[in-house]
Amino acid sequence: MEAVALKAKLKTQIIQYLNLLDITPEDIKDDTPLFGEELGLDSIDSIELIVLLEREYGIKITNPTEGRKVLVDVEQMAAYILEHSENLK
Amino acid sequence: MYIIDCYSISPQKTFDESFFEGQVEGFVGNKYHAIEPSYADLIPRGLLRRMGKAVRIGIGAGLPLIEKQKDIDGIIIGTATGGLDDCIKFLNQIVEYDEGTLTPTNFVQSTPNAIGGHLAMMSKNTGYNNTHMGIGTAFESTLLDAFLLFEEGEASKLLIGNVEETSQHHYNIDAYAGYFKTEEISSTELFNSNSKGSICGEGAAMFVVSNKKENALCKLVDVHQFTYPKSENIEERVSQFLEKNNMSLQDIDSLVLGFSGDNRYDFWYTNLMNSFPKSTVYSYKNLVGEYPTSSGFATWLATKILTGKKTPNKAIYKDANRTPKNILIYNNYLGAQHGFILLKST
Repeated sequence: MEAVALKAKLKTQIIQYLNLLDITPEDIKDDTPLFGEELGLDSIDSIELIVLLEREYGIKITNPTEGRKVLVDVEQMAAYILEHSENLK
Repeated sequence: MYIIDCYSISPQKTFDESFFEGQVEGFVGNKYHAIEPSYADLIPRGLLRRMGKAVRIGIGAGLPLIEKQKDIDGIIIGTATGGLDDCIKFLNQIVEYDEGTLTPTNFVQSTPNAIGGHLAMMSKNTGYNNTHMGIGTAFESTLLDAFLLFEEGEASKLLIGNVEETSQHHYNIDAYAGYFKTEEISSTELFNSNSKGSICGEGAAMFVVSNKKENALCKLVDVHQFTYPKSENIEERVSQFLEKNNMSLQDIDSLVLGFSGDNRYDFWYTNLMNSFPKSTVYSYKNLVGEYPTSSGFATWLATKILTGKKTPNKAIYKDANRTPKNILIYNNYLGAQHGFILLKST
Protein backbone atom coordinates (compact mmCIF):
# COMPACT_ATOMS: atom_id res chain seq x y z
CA MET A 1 0.00 0.00 0.00
CA GLU A 2 1.23 3.45 -0.84
CA ALA A 3 1.88 5.94 1.93
CA VAL A 4 -0.79 8.37 0.71
CA ALA A 5 -3.50 5.72 0.67
CA LEU A 6 -2.37 4.36 4.02
CA LYS A 7 -2.52 7.78 5.65
CA ALA A 8 -6.05 8.36 4.35
CA LYS A 9 -7.15 4.97 5.66
CA LEU A 10 -5.45 5.60 8.99
CA LYS A 11 -7.32 8.87 9.50
CA THR A 12 -10.64 7.10 8.97
CA GLN A 13 -9.64 4.34 11.39
CA ILE A 14 -8.52 6.81 14.07
CA ILE A 15 -11.90 8.56 13.89
CA GLN A 16 -13.71 5.24 14.04
CA TYR A 17 -11.69 3.70 16.89
CA LEU A 18 -11.74 6.83 19.04
CA ASN A 19 -15.31 7.83 18.11
CA LEU A 20 -14.14 11.39 17.40
CA LEU A 21 -17.32 13.42 17.18
CA ASP A 22 -17.63 16.02 14.43
CA ILE A 23 -14.13 15.33 13.07
CA THR A 24 -13.67 14.24 9.45
CA PRO A 25 -10.55 12.74 7.86
CA GLU A 26 -10.03 16.09 6.13
CA ASP A 27 -9.70 17.78 9.53
CA ILE A 28 -6.66 15.67 10.37
CA LYS A 29 -3.52 16.80 8.58
CA ASP A 30 -0.62 14.40 8.21
CA ASP A 31 1.35 16.42 10.76
CA THR A 32 -1.51 17.30 13.17
CA PRO A 33 -0.24 16.32 16.65
CA LEU A 34 -2.37 13.42 17.92
CA PHE A 35 -2.04 14.55 21.53
CA GLY A 36 -2.29 18.28 21.08
CA GLU A 37 -5.22 20.62 21.59
CA GLU A 38 -6.62 20.11 18.10
CA LEU A 39 -7.72 16.49 18.52
CA GLY A 40 -7.71 16.49 22.31
CA LEU A 41 -6.64 12.88 22.73
CA ASP A 42 -5.57 11.50 26.09
CA SER A 43 -3.86 8.46 27.63
CA ILE A 44 -6.86 6.15 27.13
CA ASP A 45 -6.80 7.08 23.45
CA SER A 46 -3.14 6.06 23.25
CA ILE A 47 -4.16 2.55 24.34
CA GLU A 48 -6.94 2.57 21.74
CA LEU A 49 -4.37 3.52 19.07
CA ILE A 50 -2.06 0.70 20.16
CA VAL A 51 -5.01 -1.70 19.82
CA LEU A 52 -5.74 -0.22 16.36
CA LEU A 53 -2.17 -0.94 15.22
CA GLU A 54 -2.37 -4.50 16.50
CA ARG A 55 -5.78 -5.35 15.08
CA GLU A 56 -5.54 -3.60 11.73
CA TYR A 57 -1.85 -3.99 10.94
CA GLY A 58 -0.61 -6.83 13.14
CA ILE A 59 1.87 -4.56 14.94
CA LYS A 60 2.42 -5.03 18.66
CA ILE A 61 3.87 -2.14 20.60
CA THR A 62 5.01 -3.31 24.00
CA ASN A 63 7.72 -0.74 24.70
CA PRO A 64 6.28 2.62 25.95
CA THR A 65 9.32 4.52 24.61
CA GLU A 66 8.69 3.10 21.16
CA GLY A 67 5.00 4.00 21.48
CA ARG A 68 5.85 7.65 22.22
CA LYS A 69 7.90 7.83 19.00
CA VAL A 70 5.18 6.26 16.86
CA LEU A 71 2.02 7.91 18.18
CA VAL A 72 3.04 11.43 17.23
CA ASP A 73 1.01 12.15 14.12
CA VAL A 74 -0.45 10.29 11.13
CA GLU A 75 2.81 10.73 9.21
CA GLN A 76 4.83 8.92 11.89
CA MET A 77 2.24 6.21 12.37
CA ALA A 78 2.06 5.50 8.64
CA ALA A 79 5.85 5.36 8.34
CA TYR A 80 6.06 2.91 11.23
CA ILE A 81 3.29 0.75 9.78
CA LEU A 82 4.97 0.60 6.35
CA GLU A 83 8.20 -0.43 8.00
CA HIS A 84 6.84 -3.00 10.44
CA SER A 85 3.52 -4.37 9.24
CA GLU A 86 3.62 -7.92 7.92
CA ASN A 87 0.01 -7.47 6.80
CA LEU A 88 1.05 -4.94 4.14
CA LYS A 89 3.97 -6.92 2.77
CA MET B 1 -36.77 12.33 53.68
CA TYR B 2 -37.68 15.13 51.29
CA ILE B 3 -37.28 15.42 47.54
CA ILE B 4 -36.01 18.91 46.77
CA ASP B 5 -35.20 18.54 43.08
CA CYS B 6 -35.55 15.97 40.31
CA TYR B 7 -34.73 15.37 36.63
CA SER B 8 -35.68 12.68 34.19
CA ILE B 9 -34.50 11.47 30.81
CA SER B 10 -36.98 8.99 29.38
CA PRO B 11 -38.73 7.95 26.16
CA GLN B 12 -40.94 10.98 26.79
CA LYS B 13 -39.53 14.48 26.51
CA THR B 14 -39.23 14.83 30.26
CA PHE B 15 -35.98 16.80 30.47
CA ASP B 16 -38.00 19.97 29.87
CA GLU B 17 -41.65 20.96 30.34
CA SER B 18 -42.88 19.43 27.05
CA PHE B 19 -44.41 16.34 28.70
CA PHE B 20 -46.59 18.35 31.09
CA GLU B 21 -47.55 20.72 28.30
CA GLY B 22 -49.21 17.75 26.64
CA GLN B 23 -46.51 16.65 24.22
CA VAL B 24 -46.81 12.90 24.77
CA GLU B 25 -44.86 10.59 22.49
CA GLY B 26 -46.68 7.57 21.08
CA PHE B 27 -44.83 4.46 20.00
CA VAL B 28 -45.37 1.43 17.82
CA GLY B 29 -43.11 -1.55 18.35
CA ASN B 30 -41.36 -3.27 21.19
CA LYS B 31 -38.73 -0.74 22.19
CA TYR B 32 -39.14 2.74 23.59
CA HIS B 33 -35.88 4.69 23.31
CA ALA B 34 -35.01 7.64 25.52
CA ILE B 35 -35.25 11.14 24.08
CA GLU B 36 -31.98 12.72 25.13
CA PRO B 37 -31.20 16.39 25.65
CA SER B 38 -28.18 18.11 24.15
CA TYR B 39 -25.17 17.40 26.35
CA ALA B 40 -22.96 20.04 24.70
CA ASP B 41 -22.92 22.40 27.69
CA LEU B 42 -22.81 19.64 30.27
CA ILE B 43 -20.34 16.94 29.25
CA PRO B 44 -16.90 17.66 27.72
CA ARG B 45 -16.71 16.18 24.23
CA GLY B 46 -13.65 14.14 25.12
CA LEU B 47 -15.72 12.30 27.74
CA LEU B 48 -18.97 12.22 25.79
CA ARG B 49 -17.48 10.37 22.84
CA ARG B 50 -16.59 7.42 25.07
CA MET B 51 -19.81 7.25 27.04
CA GLY B 52 -22.24 4.41 26.58
CA LYS B 53 -25.91 5.26 26.85
CA ALA B 54 -26.38 4.26 30.50
CA VAL B 55 -23.52 6.49 31.63
CA ARG B 56 -24.57 9.27 29.28
CA ILE B 57 -28.21 9.48 30.42
CA GLY B 58 -27.16 8.98 34.05
CA ILE B 59 -24.75 11.90 33.85
CA GLY B 60 -27.25 13.88 31.78
CA ALA B 61 -29.92 13.53 34.47
CA GLY B 62 -27.71 13.73 37.55
CA LEU B 63 -25.12 16.37 36.81
CA PRO B 64 -27.55 19.29 36.30
CA LEU B 65 -28.92 18.58 39.79
CA ILE B 66 -25.48 18.41 41.41
CA GLU B 67 -24.48 21.65 39.73
CA LYS B 68 -27.43 23.37 41.40
CA GLN B 69 -26.73 21.79 44.81
CA LYS B 70 -23.13 22.22 45.83
CA ASP B 71 -23.47 20.48 49.21
CA ILE B 72 -24.27 16.92 48.16
CA ASP B 73 -22.96 14.42 50.72
CA GLY B 74 -23.08 11.37 48.48
CA ILE B 75 -24.37 9.66 45.37
CA ILE B 76 -26.47 6.48 45.30
CA ILE B 77 -27.54 4.85 42.03
CA GLY B 78 -29.84 1.92 41.35
CA THR B 79 -29.30 0.07 38.08
CA ALA B 80 -29.99 -3.57 37.29
CA THR B 81 -27.68 -3.82 34.32
CA GLY B 82 -25.65 -0.58 34.01
CA GLY B 83 -23.88 -0.29 30.67
CA LEU B 84 -24.80 -3.73 29.44
CA ASP B 85 -24.20 -2.91 25.78
CA ASP B 86 -20.56 -2.02 26.48
CA CYS B 87 -20.25 -5.10 28.67
CA ILE B 88 -21.32 -7.38 25.83
CA LYS B 89 -19.08 -5.54 23.34
CA PHE B 90 -16.18 -6.14 25.71
CA LEU B 91 -17.01 -9.83 26.13
CA ASN B 92 -17.31 -10.22 22.37
CA GLN B 93 -13.88 -8.64 21.95
CA ILE B 94 -12.38 -11.21 24.30
CA VAL B 95 -13.67 -13.95 22.00
CA GLU B 96 -12.98 -12.17 18.71
CA TYR B 97 -9.40 -11.26 19.56
CA ASP B 98 -8.64 -14.48 21.40
CA GLU B 99 -8.08 -12.80 24.76
CA GLY B 100 -5.43 -10.52 23.20
CA THR B 101 -5.07 -6.76 23.62
CA LEU B 102 -8.46 -5.25 24.43
CA THR B 103 -9.63 -1.65 24.39
CA PRO B 104 -10.32 -0.25 27.86
CA THR B 105 -13.26 1.99 26.94
CA ASN B 106 -15.98 -0.66 26.74
CA PHE B 107 -14.85 -2.19 30.01
CA VAL B 108 -14.74 1.15 31.83
CA GLN B 109 -18.22 2.05 30.59
CA SER B 110 -19.73 -1.34 31.29
CA THR B 111 -19.43 -1.54 35.07
CA PRO B 112 -22.66 -0.47 36.78
CA ASN B 113 -20.82 1.79 39.23
CA ALA B 114 -19.37 3.77 36.28
CA ILE B 115 -22.46 6.01 36.46
CA GLY B 116 -21.99 6.99 40.10
CA GLY B 117 -18.23 7.11 39.57
CA HIS B 118 -18.46 9.49 36.61
CA LEU B 119 -20.93 11.70 38.50
CA ALA B 120 -18.56 11.86 41.46
CA MET B 121 -15.48 12.62 39.36
CA MET B 122 -17.17 15.22 37.20
CA SER B 123 -18.58 17.04 40.23
CA LYS B 124 -15.48 16.36 42.39
CA ASN B 125 -17.72 14.75 44.99
CA THR B 126 -15.63 12.61 47.34
CA GLY B 127 -18.50 11.53 49.59
CA TYR B 128 -20.40 8.26 49.94
CA ASN B 129 -20.82 6.54 46.56
CA ASN B 130 -22.79 3.37 46.17
CA THR B 131 -24.57 1.45 43.41
CA HIS B 132 -27.38 -1.03 43.99
CA MET B 133 -28.03 -3.76 41.45
CA GLY B 134 -30.90 -5.76 42.92
CA ILE B 135 -32.64 -6.05 39.54
CA GLY B 136 -36.33 -5.13 40.03
CA THR B 137 -35.78 -3.53 43.43
CA ALA B 138 -32.46 -1.78 42.75
CA PHE B 139 -34.15 1.63 42.97
CA GLU B 140 -36.02 0.69 46.16
CA SER B 141 -32.66 -0.38 47.67
CA THR B 142 -31.26 3.01 46.70
CA LEU B 143 -34.05 4.71 48.64
CA LEU B 144 -33.48 2.43 51.62
CA ASP B 145 -29.77 3.25 51.56
CA ALA B 146 -30.60 6.97 51.63
CA PHE B 147 -33.06 6.51 54.51
CA LEU B 148 -30.39 4.66 56.50
CA LEU B 149 -27.74 7.31 55.87
CA PHE B 150 -30.12 10.03 57.06
CA GLU B 151 -31.14 7.98 60.09
CA GLU B 152 -27.52 7.42 61.07
CA GLY B 153 -26.73 11.10 60.61
CA GLU B 154 -24.15 10.31 57.93
CA ALA B 155 -25.67 12.66 55.36
CA SER B 156 -28.08 15.55 55.09
CA LYS B 157 -28.37 15.82 51.29
CA LEU B 158 -27.88 13.13 48.65
CA LEU B 159 -28.17 12.60 44.93
CA ILE B 160 -30.05 9.38 44.28
CA GLY B 161 -31.51 7.87 41.14
CA ASN B 162 -31.99 5.05 38.71
CA VAL B 163 -30.53 4.35 35.27
CA GLU B 164 -31.37 1.66 32.75
CA GLU B 165 -30.46 1.43 29.08
CA THR B 166 -31.70 -0.78 26.35
CA SER B 167 -29.61 -1.96 23.42
CA GLN B 168 -29.87 -4.54 20.69
CA HIS B 169 -27.78 -7.03 22.70
CA HIS B 170 -29.83 -6.47 25.82
CA TYR B 171 -33.11 -6.66 23.95
CA ASN B 172 -32.15 -9.94 22.25
CA ILE B 173 -31.20 -11.62 25.51
CA ASP B 174 -34.38 -10.57 27.31
CA ALA B 175 -36.53 -11.32 24.27
CA TYR B 176 -35.28 -14.92 24.34
CA ALA B 177 -36.40 -15.07 27.95
CA GLY B 178 -39.90 -14.00 26.88
CA TYR B 179 -39.84 -10.57 28.52
CA PHE B 180 -41.18 -8.71 25.49
CA LYS B 181 -44.17 -8.99 23.23
CA THR B 182 -43.63 -10.81 19.97
CA GLU B 183 -46.33 -8.87 18.15
CA GLU B 184 -46.05 -5.19 17.20
CA ILE B 185 -48.30 -3.06 19.31
CA SER B 186 -48.89 0.65 19.79
CA SER B 187 -48.40 2.30 23.16
CA THR B 188 -52.07 3.33 23.21
CA GLU B 189 -53.13 -0.33 22.91
CA LEU B 190 -50.57 -1.74 25.35
CA PHE B 191 -52.98 -2.29 28.23
CA ASN B 192 -55.54 -3.97 25.97
CA SER B 193 -53.07 -6.35 24.38
CA ASN B 194 -53.87 -9.37 26.59
CA SER B 195 -50.70 -11.17 25.56
CA LYS B 196 -47.44 -12.24 27.16
CA GLY B 197 -44.54 -9.83 27.53
CA SER B 198 -44.18 -6.09 27.76
CA ILE B 199 -42.26 -3.35 25.96
CA CYS B 200 -38.55 -2.70 26.41
CA GLY B 201 -37.94 0.75 27.87
CA GLU B 202 -35.12 2.79 29.34
CA GLY B 203 -34.42 5.97 31.23
CA ALA B 204 -32.79 7.76 34.12
CA ALA B 205 -34.49 9.62 36.94
CA MET B 206 -32.45 11.53 39.48
CA PHE B 207 -33.42 13.20 42.74
CA VAL B 208 -31.81 15.43 45.31
CA VAL B 209 -33.11 14.27 48.68
CA SER B 210 -32.63 15.97 52.00
CA ASN B 211 -33.39 15.30 55.64
CA LYS B 212 -34.72 18.86 55.92
CA LYS B 213 -38.11 20.09 54.71
CA GLU B 214 -36.78 23.40 53.39
CA ASN B 215 -37.56 23.87 49.64
CA ALA B 216 -39.09 20.38 49.44
CA LEU B 217 -41.18 19.34 46.45
CA CYS B 218 -42.68 16.50 48.48
CA LYS B 219 -41.92 14.05 51.25
CA LEU B 220 -40.73 10.55 50.42
CA VAL B 221 -42.25 8.83 53.44
CA ASP B 222 -41.21 5.20 53.17
CA VAL B 223 -40.17 2.33 50.92
CA HIS B 224 -40.79 -1.39 51.18
CA GLN B 225 -39.51 -4.21 48.98
CA PHE B 226 -40.35 -7.88 48.89
CA THR B 227 -39.87 -10.86 46.60
CA TYR B 228 -42.07 -13.73 45.41
CA PRO B 229 -45.15 -12.90 47.50
CA LYS B 230 -48.34 -14.89 47.28
CA SER B 231 -50.84 -12.89 45.26
CA GLU B 232 -53.49 -13.05 47.98
CA ASN B 233 -51.08 -11.31 50.39
CA ILE B 234 -50.81 -8.07 48.50
CA GLU B 235 -53.66 -6.26 50.29
CA GLU B 236 -52.39 -7.42 53.66
CA ARG B 237 -48.91 -6.22 52.80
CA VAL B 238 -50.02 -2.81 51.65
CA SER B 239 -52.22 -2.39 54.74
CA GLN B 240 -49.29 -3.23 57.00
CA PHE B 241 -47.06 -0.84 55.08
CA LEU B 242 -49.55 2.00 55.44
CA GLU B 243 -50.26 1.22 59.12
CA LYS B 244 -46.53 1.41 59.78
CA ASN B 245 -46.74 4.96 58.46
CA ASN B 246 -49.90 5.80 60.45
CA MET B 247 -52.09 5.70 57.36
CA SER B 248 -54.98 3.60 56.09
CA LEU B 249 -56.10 2.51 52.61
CA GLN B 250 -58.60 5.40 52.58
CA ASP B 251 -55.82 7.97 53.01
CA ILE B 252 -54.30 7.15 49.64
CA ASP B 253 -55.88 9.44 47.06
CA SER B 254 -53.60 8.44 44.17
CA LEU B 255 -51.86 5.30 43.00
CA VAL B 256 -49.02 5.09 40.49
CA LEU B 257 -49.10 1.50 39.24
CA GLY B 258 -46.71 -0.39 37.01
CA PHE B 259 -49.23 -1.89 34.59
CA SER B 260 -47.05 -3.24 31.78
CA GLY B 261 -49.53 -4.91 29.42
CA ASP B 262 -48.08 -8.34 30.27
CA ASN B 263 -51.04 -10.60 30.93
CA ARG B 264 -48.94 -12.77 33.23
CA TYR B 265 -48.32 -10.03 35.79
CA ASP B 266 -50.88 -7.22 35.46
CA PHE B 267 -53.26 -8.97 37.86
CA TRP B 268 -50.99 -7.81 40.69
CA TYR B 269 -51.89 -4.21 39.95
CA THR B 270 -55.56 -4.95 39.40
CA ASN B 271 -55.72 -6.75 42.76
CA LEU B 272 -54.05 -3.84 44.55
CA MET B 273 -56.16 -1.26 42.71
CA ASN B 274 -59.32 -3.01 43.92
CA SER B 275 -58.30 -2.15 47.49
CA PHE B 276 -58.39 1.55 46.59
CA PRO B 277 -61.74 2.04 44.80
CA LYS B 278 -61.79 5.82 45.36
CA SER B 279 -58.23 6.56 44.27
CA THR B 280 -57.00 8.02 41.01
CA VAL B 281 -54.70 5.59 39.23
CA TYR B 282 -51.75 6.68 37.11
CA SER B 283 -49.81 4.44 34.73
CA TYR B 284 -46.37 4.98 33.21
CA LYS B 285 -45.11 1.91 31.35
CA ASN B 286 -47.31 2.85 28.38
CA LEU B 287 -45.16 5.99 28.29
CA VAL B 288 -41.65 4.71 29.06
CA GLY B 289 -41.77 0.92 28.70
CA GLU B 290 -40.75 -1.78 31.16
CA TYR B 291 -37.31 -1.98 32.77
CA PRO B 292 -36.08 -3.19 36.14
CA THR B 293 -35.77 0.21 37.82
CA SER B 294 -38.82 1.86 36.25
CA SER B 295 -40.09 2.75 39.73
CA GLY B 296 -37.55 5.58 39.50
CA PHE B 297 -39.61 7.11 36.71
CA ALA B 298 -42.78 6.45 38.75
CA THR B 299 -41.23 8.38 41.65
CA TRP B 300 -40.34 11.27 39.33
CA LEU B 301 -43.93 11.27 37.98
CA ALA B 302 -45.41 11.16 41.50
CA THR B 303 -43.17 14.03 42.59
CA LYS B 304 -44.35 16.13 39.67
CA ILE B 305 -48.00 15.24 40.39
CA LEU B 306 -47.56 16.36 44.00
CA THR B 307 -46.14 19.68 42.86
CA GLY B 308 -49.35 20.31 40.93
CA LYS B 309 -48.24 19.51 37.39
CA LYS B 310 -51.11 18.72 35.04
CA THR B 311 -50.63 15.09 34.11
CA PRO B 312 -51.25 14.12 30.47
CA ASN B 313 -54.37 12.00 30.00
CA LYS B 314 -52.29 9.09 28.72
CA ALA B 315 -50.77 8.77 32.19
CA ILE B 316 -54.18 8.49 33.85
CA TYR B 317 -55.45 4.92 34.08
CA LYS B 318 -58.52 5.75 36.19
CA ASP B 319 -59.57 9.23 37.20
CA ALA B 320 -61.30 9.59 40.58
CA ASN B 321 -61.01 13.39 40.64
CA ARG B 322 -58.97 13.43 43.82
CA THR B 323 -56.48 16.14 44.73
CA PRO B 324 -53.14 14.36 45.01
CA LYS B 325 -51.75 14.53 48.52
CA ASN B 326 -50.78 10.97 49.39
CA ILE B 327 -49.42 8.81 46.57
CA LEU B 328 -48.60 5.13 46.74
CA ILE B 329 -46.36 3.69 44.02
CA TYR B 330 -46.53 -0.05 43.44
CA ASN B 331 -44.28 -1.75 40.94
CA ASN B 332 -43.14 -5.28 40.34
CA TYR B 333 -40.63 -6.65 37.88
CA LEU B 334 -41.76 -9.84 36.16
CA GLY B 335 -43.89 -10.69 39.18
CA ALA B 336 -40.79 -11.55 41.18
CA GLN B 337 -39.60 -8.37 42.86
CA HIS B 338 -42.07 -5.91 44.29
CA GLY B 339 -41.83 -2.47 45.82
CA PHE B 340 -44.02 0.10 47.54
CA ILE B 341 -42.98 3.75 47.68
CA LEU B 342 -45.06 6.25 49.64
CA LEU B 343 -44.98 9.99 48.95
CA LYS B 344 -46.82 12.90 50.55
CA SER B 345 -47.29 16.52 49.63
CA THR B 346 -45.56 19.01 51.90
